Amino acid sequence: MKFTIYQESRIGKRRSNQDRIAYCYSRDALLMVVADGMGGHLYGEIAAQIAVQYIAKRFQREAVPTVADIPLFLSRALINAHHAILDYATEKALDDIPRTTIVLCLIQESTAHWAHAGDSRLYLIREGNLKTRTRDHSRVQMMFEQGLISAAAMRTHPDRNRLYSCLGGQDLPRIDFARPMALHHDDLLVLCSDGAWGHLQDHELIALLDRPDLLAAAPLFLDEAELRGAATCDNLSLIALRWHADGEPIQPTTVSTDTLGAQTVTSRLEPFPQPRSAGPATEFSESEIEQAIAEINAAIHKYNP
Amino acid sequence: MPPQANAPLPSGYQLDQYRIDRQLSLGGFSIVYLAYDAQGSAVAIKEYLPNALDLRRDGQIEPVVLAEHEAAFRYGMKCFFEEGRALAKLMHPNLVRVLNFFRANGTVYMVMRFERGRTLHDLIQKHRGALRERFIRGLFIRLLNGLREVHAHKLLHLDIKPSNIYVRTDGTPVLLDFGAARQTAVSGQPALRAMYTPGFASPEQLDRSAPLGPWTDIYSVGASLYACLGGSAPPPASERQRQDSYQPAAAAFAKDHSAQLLETIDWCLQLDPLARPQSVYALQKAMARCEPDQPVPGTLFTDLGAKIKAFIGRS
Repeated sequence: MKFTIYQESRIGKRRSNQDRIAYCYSRDALLMVVADGMGGHLYGEIAAQIAVQYIAKRFQREAVPTVADIPLFLSRALINAHHAILDYATEKALDDIPRTTIVLCLIQESTAHWAHAGDSRLYLIREGNLKTRTRDHSRVQMMFEQGLISAAAMRTHPDRNRLYSCLGGQDLPRIDFARPMALHHDDLLVLCSDGAWGHLQDHELIALLDRPDLLAAAPLFLDEAELRGAATCDNLSLIALRWHADGEPIQPTTVSTDTLGAQTVTSRLEPFPQPRSAGPATEFSESEIEQAIAEINAAIHKYNP
Repeated sequence: MPPQANAPLPSGYQLDQYRIDRQLSLGGFSIVYLAYDAQGSAVAIKEYLPNALDLRRDGQIEPVVLAEHEAAFRYGMKCFFEEGRALAKLMHPNLVRVLNFFRANGTVYMVMRFERGRTLHDLIQKHRGALRERFIRGLFIRLLNGLREVHAHKLLHLDIKPSNIYVRTDGTPVLLDFGAARQTAVSGQPALRAMYTPGFASPEQLDRSAPLGPWTDIYSVGASLYACLGGSAPPPASERQRQDSYQPAAAAFAKDHSAQLLETIDWCLQLDPLARPQSVYALQKAMARCEPDQPVPGTLFTDLGAKIKAFIGRS
């Protein structure tokens, strides 16, 4: 397996980041997951954290080096994550059950399998065109499909944040399982939260991300999304993966899993982000203090001959 | 100002090469002392000691920083260094002068030249509305020279107000307290929002609606001038943005002051940053442009010192 991957989660202009993202891979399988904790509800980030952690752990346990039954893995991972959130709410006697959207994608034998609940999306981009993407479980999407509103009205509709499926919450999630897709060389898979896609049309997203150097394009894409989010910018998260077929020349940034042991799983789970109000993120070390004093005294003596 | 949480260093305490005499003032993040150096000259020493953290009890010397406050303490120290860095580069008769910067007792100290006089705030309180135009002009023309030097180093003061303008016994001003000063060219916006003084802070400092620049300090200069005339600051910018109850200086003080000074004040106090003088030089030019029947102020300083002494003598 060979691929180039980029993941990043940003806080936007919110006080906390309720998005959680992770990717893990063994020699022959790769998992990506994006969860967007629902801010209107209590403890949205807890729901997202539980879901991502649980799903990553399950992958680490089962993908040695491949997952035996992929549809079963996806459905069990999602339903059990849902129940893990409910258990947490019961255990801590929370007033409301935390909720999160979820999108996860498993690649094995050059085929992508994905499932989602809510409005975090997966895009498959091939040769500069949108091959397919997930349909949001949102009220506006449903109204659009019923012909009640136009595509343009979906962007501005007051109910655009209303979802009818998510993990956590009172009802069992409605999960959409996509038809597996064989990946071609240079296919681009994008998983993102609504903060990242909300202010961009599909063709804009493709134009920004589908560039030769993914690792350079992805942060620029997030910059643009953040810019458009303006003063109220939501949390925005992205995992972007460029697939490389076997036998094609690879670039220095490409991850190749061919040399991994059959039992190893590599995981990238973003650490639990600190809320912005928690204060200074930067430490001020002894040596920095000494250096600052030396600089100030040098300036004093330079200007006070 | 909340009550003093930290005990000051005792009188007679030997701090490095300086002997502490007494506490002069208390700030949110520091205590300022009068001290004497080895040659017996007076200096002002600013000790970094955040008042919000209870760090030093009576009889203690070394502040005790609890583990949970360590990060906040270090962060504040970083800001204290910013002030030192800003001031060390500046040498101007109308700017406070830093002489030394050192570490001791687990905290940091900034040694400054000691100035004799009193703050403009005290003068305004004492002579509520009765400060003479000639005095005000002379003071501010010199102060603006200092501010030009600050801006020339790509720094902004960001906390200009009468209590940060010290008037020496000879009547010349010194701009104090660069605790809010920030490098403008490097960061664009201050990394941390200082506590601003309502009435003297510009609207863009409060809501970041526009980039900060020389025009930001100029708003505060305008507000300080206004306070010299009216005895108090104009309404806070935040309030003015909702409903502007600002009474233009040109209308409020027309009886006692020249139209040209009053128009300049109103110009500085425009809410729109672009509508204000864009540089200190532009402001100085406006202030120096005198009507023919008025004597040129500022240069005629001989009798001013005496006047100030008279003010002080009355106190």
